[in-house]
Amino acid sequence: MAGATIWKGYIHFGDTDVPVKLHSAVREERIQFHLLHKRDQVKLRQQMICAYEKQPVPAEEQTKGFEVEEGKYIIIDPEELEKTVPEGNRMIEVHEFVKAAQIDPIFVDRVYYLEPDIANIQGKGYDAFVKALKEMDVAGICTWTMRKRSYFGALQASGKVLRLNTLRYADEVVPAASLGLQGVPLSEKELMIGSELIDKLTAPFEPRKFENEHQKKLQDMIEKKARGEKIAVLAPRRLQPTESDQLLEVLEASLKKAA
Amino acid sequence: MAVQGIWSGTISFSLVAIPVRLVKAIEPRGVSFHLLHSKDYSRLSRKMFCPEENTMVPPDEIVRGYEILPDKYILMTDEELESVSPERSRTIEIVEFIDTKDVDPIYYDHPYYLVPSKGGEKAYQLLVEVMRRTNKAGLAKFVMAEREYLVAVFSRDGALALTTLHYSDEILPDEDMSPKKGKIGAEEESRMKKSIEQMIEDFNPGKYADERRKKLVDLLATKAKEKALVEAPAVEEEEGEGPADLVAALEESMRKVKAR
Repeated sequence: MAGATIWKGYIHFGDTDVPVKLHSAVREERIQFHLLHKRDQVKLRQQMICAYEKQPVPAEEQTKGFEVEEGKYIIIDPEELEKTVPEGNRMIEVHEFVKAAQIDPIFVDRVYYLEPDIANIQGKGYDAFVKALKEMDVAGICTWTMRKRSYFGALQASGKVLRLNTLRYADEVVPAASLGLQGVPLSEKELMIGSELIDKLTAPFEPRKFENEHQKKLQDMIEKKARGEKIAVLAPRRLQPTESDQLLEVLEASLKKAA
Repeated sequence: MAVQGIWSGTISFSLVAIPVRLVKAIEPRGVSFHLLHSKDYSRLSRKMFCPEENTMVPPDEIVRGYEILPDKYILMTDEELESVSPERSRTIEIVEFIDTKDVDPIYYDHPYYLVPSKGGEKAYQLLVEVMRRTNKAGLAKFVMAEREYLVAVFSRDGALALTTLHYSDEILPDEDMSPKKGKIGAEEESRMKKSIEQMIEDFNPGKYADERRKKLVDLLATKAKEKALVEAPAVEEEEGEGPADLVAALEESMRKVKAR
C-alpha cells in the first residue's frame, strides 16, 4: 500500500482539470543511533546556545535575523515571514510539456504518486491524461503550492499511474564546469577497449537484486555487542589506484577477465 | 582548484581503480536566516547539551548509541561502524553497467559529483568519456556515515555524477492508485493530445524561480531601507573546540536535505 493522502488538488492545463490526491512513493527505514555523553551515557539534546552568554536560549527568546554584514542583522518577525508564504490555490498548473528524456536526472528531487480523486465530480480525465503522456512520451512541467512552499515539478506517466516529481530550481544545481576538471588526452585505443569492457559488463537494470546488506550486518553487530561479544575491528579496504601509464594494460587485462 | 570532499576513496570498475572525492551537486539557494537571541542579538548555535549535567558537550565526549531498551544503549565506535562493511567504506565498486534510459527516476535520491584525486585524472576521464559514448551508467554500493548506499554513476557534462538510489523495498507499490474501471473516450483522448501538442517546448528549468524566495528578497530589501540594523556584541573566538565530527556533520546535512 502506498502512504496516506498528503495533499489534494487538481492538475490544470488548457481546458482540462484533473482532480488528484498526492501520496508518497518512497518510505525509508533505517537503524537510528542516538548521540550520548561518553561519561554518563545520557542522551544528548540539541540546544540553541547564545554565542555571547554561552547559555541555552528558550524558544520564546529566539528571533530570526538576516545577516547584512558581519554581526549586523535585519530582524524579521514571524508575521512578516507569514506574508511571504505563497498563496495556495490547490492547482497544479502545467505550463508546458517536454520530451520525458530531456529531464536531466540531477534535477529530480522527490517523487509522489497521484491518485485520481474520484470523490470529486470532475474526477475524470485521469486515464486519458496518463495515456496521452505515455503515448506522446512527454512530461508536464508544472508549479504548485503545498505546505507553504512553492514547488516546480514534472508530471509523468508510469504504467497506469501518474507521478509527480518535484524538481530542483536550476540555480541550485552545481554546474559540472565549476568543478575545474582538466581534460586529459586519451588514445582512441584506450577508449575503444574501455567501451568494449563496459559493454561486456552491462546488465539490465534490476534494482531488486540489490539489498541493503549493510543494514542487516549492522543489526547483527548490535546484537553481538548486546550479548557482550567482542567485535573484531577491521580496516577498510583501500584499492591501489591505477597508474596513468598502465591504464591501457589494465583495461586489456580487465577485458580478458570479463570475456 | 581544490574542491572540498564529503568523502574520499576510490571508484573501481573491473581492474581499474580511480582515486576520487565526493562533492556536492546541489547548493540550496533559499534565503537563509540566522537564529538570534532576542535580548542581545547574538548568534545562536546548535550545540549538544547534556540534560543531566546541564552542560554543553564537546565533540570528543560524544558517542553513538543504539537504544536496545528505554535509556539503555549499545555504544558503537566509528571504527566498529566502519568495519561493518570494510570492503565498501572506502571503495565505490561498480558491479555492473546499465543503459542510462533503463533507470526509473523513482529510484533517484540525492545527486553528488565525483572529482578525481591526484593521479586519477586520466582513468577518470576515460570512464566519463566511455560512459558518454555508450550511454551507460555504473551501479555500485558504498558505505558512508553508517549507511550503505546503492548508487548510479553517470557521465554528465564531462564529469562523473553520482546519484544515491532508493532500495527497491523502499519504493511503495502503486497498484492501488489507478482507477479500476472506465474506458477512455476516443474524443476525450484526442482533445487532450491536441492540447498537449500545442504546449510542447524544450526542457528549460532556468525559467522557473522560487516565488517564496523572491518575496523574501523583496521583504528584506524594503526592511533594509526602513529600519536600522541591529548589531550583535563582539565575542572572542572559541578555542579548544577540537576537530568537528565529520560523521555528525554529514548526518546533519543529510537530515537537512531530507527535510527540504
